[in-house]
Amino acid sequence: MTSYRLDAGGAINRAQALSFSFDGRNYKGLQGDTLASALLANDQMLMGRSFKYHRPRGPVTAGSSEPNALLTIGSGARSEPNARATTVELYQGLVAASQNRWPSLKHDIGAVNSLLSPFLGAGFYYKTFMWPAAFWEKLYEPLIRKAAGLGKLALEADPDRYEKAWAHCDLLVIGAGPAGLMAALVAGRAGLRVILADEGFRPGGSLLSESVSVAGLAAVDYAGGLVSELSSLPNVTLMPRTTVFGWYDDMVFGAVERVQKHVASPSPELPVERLWRIVAKRAILASGAEERPLVFGGNDKPGVMTATAARTYLNRYGVAVGGKVAVFTNGGSGYRTAADLAAKGVEVTAVIDARAQSADVAPAGIRVIRNAGVVATNGRHRIDGLLLERAGFEEVIGCDALAMSGGWSPIVHLMCQRGTKPVWSEESQAFLAPNVGNSFVAAGSAAGVETISECLRDGAAKAASLASELGFAAHGANLPDVEGEYDASFAPVWYVPGAKDKAFVDFQNDVAVSDLGAAQREGFRHIEHTKRYTTVGMATDQGKLGNVNTAGIVAAMRGVSPAEIGTTTFRPFYTPVSFGALAGAAQGEHGAPVRTSPLHGWAKKNGASFVEAGLWYRSAWFARDGEKNWRESVDREVLSVRANAGLCDVSTLGKIEIFGAGAAEFLDRIYCNGFLKLPVGKARYGLMLREDGIVFDDGTTSRLGEHHYVMTTTTAYATDVMTHMEFCAQTFWPELDVRFVSVSDQWAQMSLAGPKARIIMSRVVQDDLSDAAFPFLAARAVTLRGGLKARLFRISFSGELAYELAVPAGYGEAVADAIMEAGRDEGICAYGVEALNVLRIEKGFITHNELDGRTTADDVGLGRMMAMQKPDFIGKRLSTRFGLTAADRLQLVGLKPVEPEKQINAGAHLLKEAAKPSLANDQGFVSSACYSPALGSFIALAMLKSGRERVGERIVVWDALRGMEVPADVCAPVFVDAENAKLHV
Amino acid sequence: MTLHFLHRHVLEDHLAGFETRPNPNHVNVARRPVILSVLAHSGHEAAVAERLAELAGGSVRFCGPGEWLVAGPALLGEELADRLGEIPGASVCDQSDGKVLMAIGGPSARKILAKCVAADLHGDVFAEGQSANMLCCHVASNLARTGADLFEIIVPRSFAGSVFEELMEMGREYALTASFSED
Amino acid sequence: MASLITCPHCGTRPKEEFTIRGDAAPRRPGSADRDEAWYAYVYIRDNPKGRILEYWHHAGGCRRWLVVDRDNLTHEVFGVVDAADFQRTEAAE
Ligand SMILES: [Zn+2]
Repeated sequence: MTSYRLDAGGAINRAQALSFSFDGRNYKGLQGDTLASALLANDQMLMGRSFKYHRPRGPVTAGSSEPNALLTIGSGARSEPNARATTVELYQGLVAASQNRWPSLKHDIGAVNSLLSPFLGAGFYYKTFMWPAAFWEKLYEPLIRKAAGLGKLALEADPDRYEKAWAHCDLLVIGAGPAGLMAALVAGRAGLRVILADEGFRPGGSLLSESVSVAGLAAVDYAGGLVSELSSLPNVTLMPRTTVFGWYDDMVFGAVERVQKHVASPSPELPVERLWRIVAKRAILASGAEERPLVFGGNDKPGVMTATAARTYLNRYGVAVGGKVAVFTNGGSGYRTAADLAAKGVEVTAVIDARAQSADVAPAGIRVIRNAGVVATNGRHRIDGLLLERAGFEEVIGCDALAMSGGWSPIVHLMCQRGTKPVWSEESQAFLAPNVGNSFVAAGSAAGVETISECLRDGAAKAASLASELGFAAHGANLPDVEGEYDASFAPVWYVPGAKDKAFVDFQNDVAVSDLGAAQREGFRHIEHTKRYTTVGMATDQGKLGNVNTAGIVAAMRGVSPAEIGTTTFRPFYTPVSFGALAGAAQGEHGAPVRTSPLHGWAKKNGASFVEAGLWYRSAWFARDGEKNWRESVDREVLSVRANAGLCDVSTLGKIEIFGAGAAEFLDRIYCNGFLKLPVGKARYGLMLREDGIVFDDGTTSRLGEHHYVMTTTTAYATDVMTHMEFCAQTFWPELDVRFVSVSDQWAQMSLAGPKARIIMSRVVQDDLSDAAFPFLAARAVTLRGGLKARLFRISFSGELAYELAVPAGYGEAVADAIMEAGRDEGICAYGVEALNVLRIEKGFITHNELDGRTTADDVGLGRMMAMQKPDFIGKRLSTRFGLTAADRLQLVGLKPVEPEKQINAGAHLLKEAAKPSLANDQGFVSSACYSPALGSFIALAMLKSGRERVGERIVVWDALRGMEVPADVCAPVFVDAENAKLHV
Repeated sequence: MTLHFLHRHVLEDHLAGFETRPNPNHVNVARRPVILSVLAHSGHEAAVAERLAELAGGSVRFCGPGEWLVAGPALLGEELADRLGEIPGASVCDQSDGKVLMAIGGPSARKILAKCVAADLHGDVFAEGQSANMLCCHVASNLARTGADLFEIIVPRSFAGSVFEELMEMGREYALTASFSED
Repeated sequence: MASLITCPHCGTRPKEEFTIRGDAAPRRPGSADRDEAWYAYVYIRDNPKGRILEYWHHAGGCRRWLVVDRDNLTHEVFGVVDAADFQRTEAAE
């Protein structure tokens, strides 16, 4: 038995055994275990293979900085790769598998990489696979990807739910160790809204793993007392299993809460993870300190771990990491570990101290070897001894685990994410948290404080000071007496000379001291270059264990202070965050909000196929029995509108209600055509320009009263037009008395078009709709038969006699039904946006296909609309500049293929006959195209160079995308009823 | 010939399958509220605000400077519009069909809304009687606090289905139920 | 993850509720102003790094245009005012 569960002790529930499996074998652990502690309790030290060399690896930590014990948890669609066994909370039925090995963890073929390691050093990719270039993609990369790597992603869709949420607090405390707990308590008692977040599943931090007594209680019980008082405070929110991973602008912190990662089958009522954006007035970083590994030959073998890890497994989980444990240290932590192990009856074979002398004392009976260094470890899947060197003499010491301590690095990651670098302290021999202002401060060991009593004091003091800054009266907590503390100071040892095996700095990316040396020799000396050349610190652990050692080693190689080397850039996320959590609920059909028209139900029951238009779902066509494709339906709808009547949903148009004595003037300034003289009861087509003279949007505006208008915009530009109008009203002309509000959603709007539109509409509307009483462009309130108030506009986008009827949205479906019923004998049909498009192309009416952000009013044949006599309107000045009035601009024309059945597609380019396709020969492009059932021919609208002069010319429609060349004749952009005879009836 | 038109609430289909007995956390969807936009013309903002503060029969929701929504029961429809119409310097426009009003109440209402809106809804920050426009489930909405654990959301009709579904999804862990309320 | 803007009308809100239009310094020239003034107004913008006045539209809230005085490197916000008020103050000066 090498590692094993002790008979007593630990913050675990011995009454609650949990079964789990690892690589297909079944094991038993206890409630309160992590996966790593449970595996160790079962004497399973080997947990993974390293990334590059496939070296056998076991856990080196007992926390979130773990680089080695990365496992795949779960199976099927729920399998999650690269989970740190040291933080995975054990649950009944947990299924774990090792990664990066084949065929098995013990016998891994990839381990041959280890033999090739002399060739796989730093810069190996850059040097080795340069030639021949073609080999990279086909041979080298696939091979490397197969051999190196981490876990595999599940290819199935994630079955679980995720959420995002916001939280707000006066004080966010990050980390629930002694400093964090005490800070939260002081702030909570003072009445602040406090959030205490901790990445672990049990708050307490080092209080759970240190053998001290606090206020006469075991530390773990003292922590429990703090937690229960905090839980009782209504203004304090405890968030266990929550990693604060990022610090963003304006004191917003990103955090991920693992709501259901610790259960075998997640409840569908809850998310598995929840992403929090925590807005904090103040924050305390109480994330503790990381114990640094020592860098010596063979320091990566399973069984070698930090002294804190060994102590945590022992005290918190009741697990001895070995039967015979050696300690290698440069400070007090090693001695404390030896003492704790000895106290629990675990044999400690030696304490090897890198320092020549120290005040630290090992328990009686334990051999202490000072001024010595480990240079190699023996054993393959687990160490079975070590080789030490002292004053030129070597000695083998038997051990099945080695606890190492290389000093402490405060965990300052979050504080450095916004560009401020940590500060090297000669005194602490560590990078300390930078000063980032008063809003966010470090406390406890994150601030370089060593002992638990000092951490408690520091947490209390910092919280009290922040509380009073926020205007709360904070009373310092009664700080408890702590007994049995140790002196955690250390003397720096960056690496141990004389290594007889690879001495790793970065375990996860397999970067050894020799690689750092190579980088310096080969000129990659800046720490950011060293990082990229060697990949040190670039693994998923982001170098939590290795980065400070890297700085120290590189500094030593260069003979400078680590202060001169500095650190690489800290970026979110502190630990990896799943894509699921980042996406939150915005998955599948929840990806974006959906907008449905008030006539959606009507369209549905009339057989509509829908098309997405922005967030809208618009009815595209209404298939009837026997119609084999969409074109048949559209052709029928078009012919029916031209011959009888059709009803189309136009509710998605933007609608803006405008009020005020300055409304007319306002409209006159935002449209290029005149609006001052629009009579009450009339609609007018309007064209808006951008300030650069290009057309922005079009639509109709109707004057409903002296100071009351309603505007329509295109569906696509509804929001943009509203925003534009707000900008103009608020920043250009705040003196104008004009107010407006979107009423897009208030009205169901439907267009009834066709020769029989009046007959049908008259059956629904009680007002007189004769041409005399309600002429073209009439716009006013009407009453439907039965009393419902509505608005009616005689406007047409089809060239037919047409009305747009607007009714309150809730009545839309019923009114549309009534119109269909009223028109049944007249041959009415429902028509969709496809037929609408054909009808408008036949008439040469423009949409944003033509108004594509490059066209002027004149380009699309509307130059005469520009009311240049107006003193000012948006776009007036620049619309007259040379480039926009040039004679060779693209102008709107119609196109008819010489052979009517030859299809023309939008997007195709235009060439002179016999001209070769080239940029120089480009004559323009097709903006809109369709089949016109009225003409029995394909037709198109196109933008053609000097187009209006070229009516009658034969050109070629060149569609490289579809490999089509279609000769076509240029014509005026109107194919049906050029005299508009059908409008005025 | 006279025609009778059936009024249809946009959430009719969404609410069809729901249990009718409300849980402690519940969404009441107002079936026929009257909702009116009130716009104060320049120079009249303070006077209109004053008149609105004395308004009987409708609750006033702040949207932005010189802009409010006034919500009331259907019964008051015409009357409310008339009363508002009498305020000098104000323009009024009917939004009863353009907006959907949902009242979410219950002990977990704030926790549910924390997943829908970014604003801080703590009672000290967003007190009873307060209201503001904000994104709710990604949609520009108006949120009002009408009680300690009671909030009202007014959303554009075309987005209501989307917002409702997301609200219910976020309420799943608190057994959120929903139904129409007739008043 | 988030940035916050405190709207003078609505309170503190995340950037998702806003759209940025850019530099708030350029003034729309008068209709009689020279071509150069119009050209500069429509096309020419400084691209400063640091403190800048920007137009932000509170699209998800009050729908007012705001002028945000902030550092575009650190996102430190020095002040937010309604654009109409900003305009009036400028005009008065
Ligand atoms: Zn606002």
